[in-house]
Amino acid sequence: MKALVFAESEPAARELSAGARTLADEVTLVTFDDPVAGVADRVVTVTVPEGHPKEDALETFYQVYQDVQPDIVLVEPTRRLKTIAGRIAAREGASVITDAMALADGVATSMYFGGVGVRTAKAATPVTFVTVAPGTFADAEPSGTDAAEAVAFVEPAVPLTLVAREDLPPAEVDLTAAERVVAAGRGFAAEEQLGLARDFCQKIGAELGCTRPLTESETWFPREAYIGVSGLILNPEVYVGIGVSGQMQHMVGVDRAKVSFAINKDKNAPIFQQVDYGLAGDIADVLPKINAEL
Amino acid sequence: MNIAVMVKVLPDDQDIVVTADRKLDASKAKPVVSTYDLNAIEAAALLAADTGAATTAIVAGPASVDDSKTKKNILSRGIDALAMAADDALADMDARQTAQALAAMVNQADGIDLVICGDGSADLYAQQVDVQLAEALGWPSLNGVTAITAGDGTVTVERVLENERETVTLPLPAVLSVSPDIAVPRIAGMKDILAAGKKPVTMYAAGDLGELAPAAVEVIDVSAPEPAARKKELFDAAQDGELDAFVAALKGAL
Repeated sequence: MKALVFAESEPAARELSAGARTLADEVTLVTFDDPVAGVADRVVTVTVPEGHPKEDALETFYQVYQDVQPDIVLVEPTRRLKTIAGRIAAREGASVITDAMALADGVATSMYFGGVGVRTAKAATPVTFVTVAPGTFADAEPSGTDAAEAVAFVEPAVPLTLVAREDLPPAEVDLTAAERVVAAGRGFAAEEQLGLARDFCQKIGAELGCTRPLTESETWFPREAYIGVSGLILNPEVYVGIGVSGQMQHMVGVDRAKVSFAINKDKNAPIFQQVDYGLAGDIADVLPKINAEL
Repeated sequence: MNIAVMVKVLPDDQDIVVTADRKLDASKAKPVVSTYDLNAIEAAALLAADTGAATTAIVAGPASVDDSKTKKNILSRGIDALAMAADDALADMDARQTAQALAAMVNQADGIDLVICGDGSADLYAQQVDVQLAEALGWPSLNGVTAITAGDGTVTVERVLENERETVTLPLPAVLSVSPDIAVPRIAGMKDILAAGKKPVTMYAAGDLGELAPAAVEVIDVSAPEPAARKKELFDAAQDGELDAFVAALKGAL
């Protein structure tokens, strides 16, 4: 069994290569620019010439694909790699299964209707293409050689022109990496009140995210802080929902928390049926008291 | 310029019922336009208004997508014409099959320069139809697009990726997948809805689209997720000592 890994970031290169190792005896990693050592049998690096977007590396990736002839292709779920892997799959008569949360015996588990359902599916083609959500292979240990090779860039038939590129300012928080996550919901009456949630986060060492209305109708949070359907799907040790009603669209994102808590002034809020410990109380009243006790 | 916007019509997730054996029943759900395709329609309509381009919406799906309210909904949003394949032979298509059906309709529409897709469909959110379609048409594609400017035989787009922002020029014809941020869907007025009923609609059957490839993905099961087992202990802050008990439980988990 041969596995090919497409990854842009080093953490994904490590995790997907480690996961590939559990599925295949030969692991090849393809990444941009800098090789990642000790995770695969063979690391292939692609450097895209100036003036091209990285998607123009499609033909180069395809050449490695044809060289390796993999049985399975594990892909980091980034926009660029969804394009590159998707177009290679199309050429092979296959289709990429995206954002798998689990992968066993070729069967990928992913969300349906943003979490209303869970879907299991497998490739009906000889080769499986799957993009894998972070954390899916968290327990697998990567191993490999330092063998790295740079392949020559293959010019695409229709090259694109990169006019400008800049790094986005680093996200202030990385909720996917946080062990403790607090979500603020509509129960927060004013932006100033979020200070209470921030104090609480500081006390318990948590990162602060939010439900959808707080990124859309209010501009209190960046879009990246939205937890739930078509936003972040998290896997924290501890989750605390404050002023969160418990709508499915949000809870899907935190359902995998080991222990979960909720604070809401309505003792009938649906969230209390979906957490381990609930506290019925007004944020303005109870949060200062809780913060004082922590 | 001729712009085609790809639209998925699917069951309204608000109407999906979880059955006793945890399966999903969408039989009572009314057809709706997939949420983020509304942003794609708006982006197409705005670009057309800006450039004088003609716009066609293209839909492929089971017979249930042929719904007069849905058709009017699409056509009331600044779109000139609709091409729709509604045939149960087109039910449950995977991304590859969907792209094949859409590619056949794009080719038959003739003279399409730019295809616009939404960020992802409400059901699978696989973000693969745009790339499969681009490959089927042999056109370049880009996703995550937040702004489009038409040039001479080109489009220049701004796009936002996970950690970067880019400006890229693509030669036409091309396929773009637009981020929901690109445009807020309009609320159609009564006049728009009435006018929508008079716009041209071309209906296709599956047979008009060439032979559909076999499924590339086999779906094994779709079920409602098992709810996580939770303790569901509720404390009332108005009762003496219960806030302290909640804090104690929280401290225990840290």
